[in-house]
Amino acid sequence: MDVEQNDGQTLTSDLQALSVSDPLSNQFSSLNDLCYEASSLQELASRGSWRSILDKVVRARKLSLLQKPHEHLIYLCYNVLALTKLRKYGEASEELDSLEDFDSARYKYETHPEHYPNRSGSMVPFALRWIHAEIPQRLGKRQETLDRLYSLLDFVRTKLKEKESKNMNFCVDRWKKREAFLISSISSHHLSHKEFSVCLALLRQLLNSDPSNPILLSKLGYIQMQLGDLEGSKALFNRVETLMTEGNPGALLDEVQFKNLVNRNKALIYLVGKDYVSAVREYEECIERDPTDVVAINNKALCLMYLRDLSDSIKVLENALERIPTVALNETIVVNLCSMYELAYVNHSDIKRTLSNWIARVAPDDFDSSCTRI
Amino acid sequence: MNASMGLHSLTFRVMRLCRPSFQVDDPLRFDSLDLLTGEDIFDDPATVSQAQLPRLFHRCNTNTTKPGEVDTYRNRYVLQNPTDAMGLPGFLVLPQAFGAIYLGETFCSYISINNSSNVEVKDVIIKVEIQTERQRIMLLDTSKSPVASIHSGGRYDFIMEHDVKELGTHTLVCTALYTDGDGDCKYLPQSFKFIVASPLSVRTKVRTVKDITFLEACIENHTKSNLYMEQVDFVPAQNWSTTTLKADEHYSEINCQTREIFKPPILIRSGGGIHNYLYQLRLSSHESTQMKVEGSNVLGKFQITWHTNLGEPGRLQTQPIFGSPISHKEIKLKIVEVPSITISGRPFLIRLNLTNQTDRKMGPFEVWMSKGNFHEQKAITVNGLHKMVLPHVEAFESTDFNLNLVASRLGVQKITGITMFDIKEKKIYDPLPDLEIFVDAD
Repeated sequence: MDVEQNDGQTLTSDLQALSVSDPLSNQFSSLNDLCYEASSLQELASRGSWRSILDKVVRARKLSLLQKPHEHLIYLCYNVLALTKLRKYGEASEELDSLEDFDSARYKYETHPEHYPNRSGSMVPFALRWIHAEIPQRLGKRQETLDRLYSLLDFVRTKLKEKESKNMNFCVDRWKKREAFLISSISSHHLSHKEFSVCLALLRQLLNSDPSNPILLSKLGYIQMQLGDLEGSKALFNRVETLMTEGNPGALLDEVQFKNLVNRNKALIYLVGKDYVSAVREYEECIERDPTDVVAINNKALCLMYLRDLSDSIKVLENALERIPTVALNETIVVNLCSMYELAYVNHSDIKRTLSNWIARVAPDDFDSSCTRI
Repeated sequence: MNASMGLHSLTFRVMRLCRPSFQVDDPLRFDSLDLLTGEDIFDDPATVSQAQLPRLFHRCNTNTTKPGEVDTYRNRYVLQNPTDAMGLPGFLVLPQAFGAIYLGETFCSYISINNSSNVEVKDVIIKVEIQTERQRIMLLDTSKSPVASIHSGGRYDFIMEHDVKELGTHTLVCTALYTDGDGDCKYLPQSFKFIVASPLSVRTKVRTVKDITFLEACIENHTKSNLYMEQVDFVPAQNWSTTTLKADEHYSEINCQTREIFKPPILIRSGGGIHNYLYQLRLSSHESTQMKVEGSNVLGKFQITWHTNLGEPGRLQTQPIFGSPISHKEIKLKIVEVPSITISGRPFLIRLNLTNQTDRKMGPFEVWMSKGNFHEQKAITVNGLHKMVLPHVEAFESTDFNLNLVASRLGVQKITGITMFDIKEKKIYDPLPDLEIFVDAD
């Protein structure tokens, strides 16, 4: 098969020869060829307009705008995702309950030959399996979520073995990404419950198959730093720096991102050694290189506070929110800023209310405003 | 001082400033391919161009504008790479609650004096003190150089550190003596209480095997955090040397590819977790027969350092650890001669040797044979006085004495239960090991 000339705009002659009744084999220059108004879903999700997505799904269902089985599944997936983002976990759970078992025939392409004449396999979006596993924890049933996630990991590994044995390299790559995603997600659950040993054991598995991943190495370093193993984290950060000087492995990070990662790691080492001045210097280098590096901005503000400069630490955060709201507006920065306000002002409720009003105008639908502690 | 305590222009704001923590999120971020396509869509390469789809998504997933310029909240929805799902982007977060404080930690706090009035205040003398049950420790005193002025809406900040060395209630007392807008002298006291608890308990066991002493220590974590044990060292007393004994590595560790990069840390679980340590102690002096035992038997003490988040340190030293109670070695008692023939019913003598292995005079002593544990009478008993008294024995000297015994039964019998008692020290020594003899008939 010929490779396309440019970004998916031209078809090869092979594809042109195929039947046009299978919607997924058509030339697609836009996402809409995959699913009814998919690009609109993508756009709304990128803006954080989850309430609009709910409306869109209701409308599509009411007016019967979805023709194909896979479109119903995708819209259901976005519906559940939107409900989850909006913290309406009960409704999300109900929506998921309306589904049959994921492996049932109903969700296989071959069951609907009238829609997908030449296709077989599961039409379930992988994200839906994951969301289904995540929901119980948000309803207070943490163990259920862990059970589902570990089962899902088994499922992914089985698929991986299957694709590897058939030399389906592209599929192997996709399922490997899903495996890494799942392991990371499970680690997040253990981390938030301070189950560090389990978390480290899981991530070691990931590291074994990807030992030169600078992002993964750095995150392992953060975990070690969090639990207090400073020597261990230093060793990991040194390895990341070595990787950078050796040349960029893979396409994980571009030059600016890689340099900033190394600088931020250096800053952390200074920070734990209580050399806040040097840490600030490292973060300023990052910000100079990439003015949207919000991790550097946030951490710099904290260093300033540990240097007794509460006024400047507040200015750094306020400035970021004003200058680059879509990158800087996240719950962590707001929590830090509000802590600073509570310290700096006796009557801090006024200034927090000002912040809160601004957030209400600018924030995406899923922003958790309880972080302002008003 | 003639200062009034009415409405104040100044207020103290205090925040505990222990080290920050990494923010752990619960992200809901995806690879868009996993949302908008079925999971098996790439199984059939003939119908779908495999490279085309991802390129399409790549355009949508990443920034289409200049690097760094994002005009949407895309990063709350889309993964840049799979490990983003870990929810550990690297943001640090300020401590959100006062938390618990433990002995051995450092109490650090950010103190800010705010002027929330409309007028300037002058000549502010600030004092910060920690009061415990036992003492008062001055941390800051600006009497010699008062703060000239704090304008309306202004602040004066400082960061205090104090190593916590006592248990129980601590009070952080902040006072400000200042001249307000009306020229009145005002006095503002504010105090903040916290309680210091004990973070660890150390239980030890000492066992001696031949001339090696083993020390087993069990550390239990009573805090609310997991503790990373940075250092658990046994500092031996004079005359002793110590080696830490470590378990062999598990085979899965040795074969692990990432062994060079990354070692599992020693982490004691919060709220009751334990970890055991083992040390081997030897006496430094090579003359084990002439041991200088000075009454007390101190082996040494533990020096423990732990870390919590981001390396926040805590340090403790234990009380001295003692070895086993005084053993035989101060005094050596042994049977040196037994008759070659022993006849039942006929008294016989055994000769014993008592050696004083210390550098001081010891005794006087009493020697006797303990009565049997069983209801039956012992086969070999003392003939004559039940107790025998021995006089002092000089340092490093020895003395011989005889015990007059008689056997009442035939055959192989045991001379058992010869016990020695140091009258002066009021110390009883373990009985001599049993000695078997053959008792003949008349």
